Amino acid sequence: MRLRTILPAILCATAGLTGQTLAPTLAQAESLWKQHRYVESNDAFRALVAAHPRNAEYRVRWGRLFLERFNAPEASKLFNEALEIQPKRADALLGMALVAADGFEAQATHFARQALEADSHLVDAQELLARLALEDNNPAKAAEEAHKALAMSANATEAKAILATIDWLNDKPDTPWDPHEGAAYETAARIFVLNRRYEEGIKLFRKAIAAQPDLWSAHSQLGINLMRLGHEEEARTELELCYENQYRDAATVNTLRLMDSYKNFVTYKTDRTVLRLHKKEAELLHPYFEAEMLRALATYDKKYDFKLDRPVQVEVYPDHEDFAVRTMGMPGLGALGVTFGYVVAMDSPSGRPPGTFHWASTMWHEFSHVYVLNMTNFRVPRWFTEGLAVHEETAVSPEWGDRLDPHVIMAIKDKKLLPVAELDRGFVRPEYPTQVVVSYFEAGRMCDYIDREWGWPKLLAMIHDFAAGASTPEAIEKELGIKPEEFDRRFMAALTAETKKTVDGFDKWRDQLKEVAAEYKAHNYEDMIRDASAIRDTYPDYVETGNVYQFLADAYLAKGDKKIAIGQLERYAREGGRSPDTLKQLATLLEEAGNRKEAAEVLDRLNYIQPIDEDLHRRLGDLWLSLGNTAGAIREYQAVLAKAPTDPAASHFNLAKAYRTANRPDAAKDELLLSLESAPGFRPAQKMLLELSK
Amino acid sequence: MRLLLTLLLTAASLHATTYYVTVTGLGGEPDYEQHFAMWAKDIEKAVKTSPDSKVETLVNATREQVRATLDGIAKQAKPQDAFVLMLIGHGSFDGYEYKINLPGPDLTASELATLLDRIPASRQLVVDMTSSSGGAIEFLRKPNRVVIAATKNGTEKNATIFARYWVEALGDPAADSDKNDVVSALEAFRFADKKTVAFYESQNRLATEHAVLEDTGKGEGVRAPSPENGEGMLAAQFPLLRIGATAMAAKDPAKLQLLAKKDELEQQIDKLKYEKAAIPPDEYKKQLGALLLKLAQTQEEIDK
Repeated sequence: MRLRTILPAILCATAGLTGQTLAPTLAQAESLWKQHRYVESNDAFRALVAAHPRNAEYRVRWGRLFLERFNAPEASKLFNEALEIQPKRADALLGMALVAADGFEAQATHFARQALEADSHLVDAQELLARLALEDNNPAKAAEEAHKALAMSANATEAKAILATIDWLNDKPDTPWDPHEGAAYETAARIFVLNRRYEEGIKLFRKAIAAQPDLWSAHSQLGINLMRLGHEEEARTELELCYENQYRDAATVNTLRLMDSYKNFVTYKTDRTVLRLHKKEAELLHPYFEAEMLRALATYDKKYDFKLDRPVQVEVYPDHEDFAVRTMGMPGLGALGVTFGYVVAMDSPSGRPPGTFHWASTMWHEFSHVYVLNMTNFRVPRWFTEGLAVHEETAVSPEWGDRLDPHVIMAIKDKKLLPVAELDRGFVRPEYPTQVVVSYFEAGRMCDYIDREWGWPKLLAMIHDFAAGASTPEAIEKELGIKPEEFDRRFMAALTAETKKTVDGFDKWRDQLKEVAAEYKAHNYEDMIRDASAIRDTYPDYVETGNVYQFLADAYLAKGDKKIAIGQLERYAREGGRSPDTLKQLATLLEEAGNRKEAAEVLDRLNYIQPIDEDLHRRLGDLWLSLGNTAGAIREYQAVLAKAPTDPAASHFNLAKAYRTANRPDAAKDELLLSLESAPGFRPAQKMLLELSK
Repeated sequence: MRLLLTLLLTAASLHATTYYVTVTGLGGEPDYEQHFAMWAKDIEKAVKTSPDSKVETLVNATREQVRATLDGIAKQAKPQDAFVLMLIGHGSFDGYEYKINLPGPDLTASELATLLDRIPASRQLVVDMTSSSGGAIEFLRKPNRVVIAATKNGTEKNATIFARYWVEALGDPAADSDKNDVVSALEAFRFADKKTVAFYESQNRLATEHAVLEDTGKGEGVRAPSPENGEGMLAAQFPLLRIGATAMAAKDPAKLQLLAKKDELEQQIDKLKYEKAAIPPDEYKKQLGALLLKLAQTQEEIDK
């Protein structure tokens, strides 16, 4: 494997001059830049700035070099320094807008407008406004801004690209605005990718490269998107080409690194699924993931009345950084999973702290995208596909989906939810840090609401409307028979009614929870039980650390009342609590109370949350074996053995017991031999061997 | 060979005493104080069940208390006895010297080594479960002494979790991986280390402790003792805790012949396992199955 480095290091701000003694001119620095002699150009700019510390222009140009060479933080720093020297400098404001646009930050539009105020002829800023509007899924606004740019300059190719992209997105290939330029095609390609229309994006990247073969940014994006769709060989060729030609931005380098790491993955295939798991956990996770993939496909085939025409590929990354590579350069994506057509990439449960990640819920969410994206040929507003995917999480099982969290409560309280027709903006360019999370919640609840009030067939009909090119307002009017504004009014009324108790009582609940925690710490259980019981139902969805259910359960246990403690923990589980320790505590209490079936159900839930747990599988195997679920016991005991157990002899013996109960004596004997190979004097295994050998 | 040695040691040690001393140092915070004391108590409970054990537990001990206890054992113990010292708490290492933090003056590793050298028990085990405990190895290592440290060197300074799983090893039959009713020092080390590694993995945290074992008297301590690196032989033969009835059978002269047969079969199984790579899988399975069946039948006779 080749050692790869990220180029920003080359443009490190601490790099020194290479023996130059005279300060270069701006023209020399720019010329070196044009010749792709970036290090020398960087040195020249450094010398220029050192020689002319009050010259804002030099800082802006140096910043643009940094921006082009993948170092946005340094670029931003230089633009800010230029603005300190000259507060209304248009090119510095444009630089800030471009940095913000790269990061999908809401400030991009603000900076671009400021740049235009400073210089009303700055066509680049006007073109950027057009692009930003289109990225926000507002084609009318984008066209308006693009026409303004063309009015400033008839040769504004980026503006033409935006107008052409609007036509292409609307399936009008013969646009009068074809820009006939590589970089402009690349802009169009990127917007197609943002709309999840990867195949068409790839075609446009190819067109960009045909127009300008040394457009390495397009080569890189072509490679990344080919990789997203599973075309790994060609992806690698493109990315290697970029690397060889010194185009080594983080996305290119990290994607190549990720592809290098694929040798550490194992692939499992069925007729309908391709599952890629890391070697270190493949054997353990395989049965759980594959079974869930097949279950989701069978459910969605019927529910969406749609048959996928090829297998769905799921890639599971134990290292979150590897997963993050798959989403680089994408705005507003969930941090746990991502879907590219028929390819789903997601975190492994081992890549997240225990209890923070429900992998099965994420998988069903992403599989919903696979159906909706393919049914609509990728022509679906983001709010709708995300909302439907969130809706599906709790449709599978009520306790699966994410809960009403404090950020959402605050957003409802502060009336920050967006109208349905503008909800995409909340995903692409959030205006406050938690807006993406809030938008997922809002979209999910909108789909829940439509399902409840109009029924699933209407949601299905909306999918078909989007496939036919309808906008959100058109689909809502057609299927729900009301205007989007009326939909917003009714939805908000329903949501307010549903959440009123929690939203209104939130501040008081928060204060009282602190008191409950203090009483708990002081072992003042009587007062704590009174106060915790009083606030529990104000915010029943709160199942995170320091939740009321756990406090109450512990207090009742301290008082010796196991029955009520179990009741509290059962409520915790029903409300979506995911802490492995708490759920295992509940299982233990249920088992002690003789409720083995319920105990097994609680432990089985943990298989969807934190399956990398030897103790869980052993306990569940024992329970299922005692309950006569031999298939379940076999699966659990196999899971124990899949990851070098602490006690191999006992683990093989347990599996032998399960096989024997399942009337599979040969398999039982094989496991016994493995058990006794590890511990020849293991009495229970010896006893069974004697019995089987009679 | 290994099993025969184990049997002989087991038989010989029937009339010997094992001295267990557990020391907890300063916790610094109530949570640590509570955990250290709880672990020490659990250790005491577990080792008291082992036959012929003498147990001392020093919670929040001062240096003088540790000295007095070890001096006392030095006067009582005999060469055939075994001695186990378990240290729980926070340690420090300044690049030259390791210390366990105790109320009042700390105890250095070199002082501790001097105290241990005075104890005549020929088989010794020191389990230092404090932070920075790897820094103590060079002072404590000695022929016929097993040294286990929770950290691979003195620079792993974060509070450790190894002690929690060492305690579990003394209470969980799973630690007896060869199911011979004796938890050896090596088995306990492997059990605790595996659980410690799993703890950090499950929390998705970078491990800040890496336990090591040294029993050659001259090594730095290794993560995975094996015949290849020469570590672990002594630890495998060090019976830390007896949890079953194996030892009792050796007392019955009528069963000595059966025990000898059992030992021979176990040696044959060991030999076969050693040759596994050179034998076709089906043939290996057939031979192993036959030997294991004979062993099971012999054990059945012994148990009658």
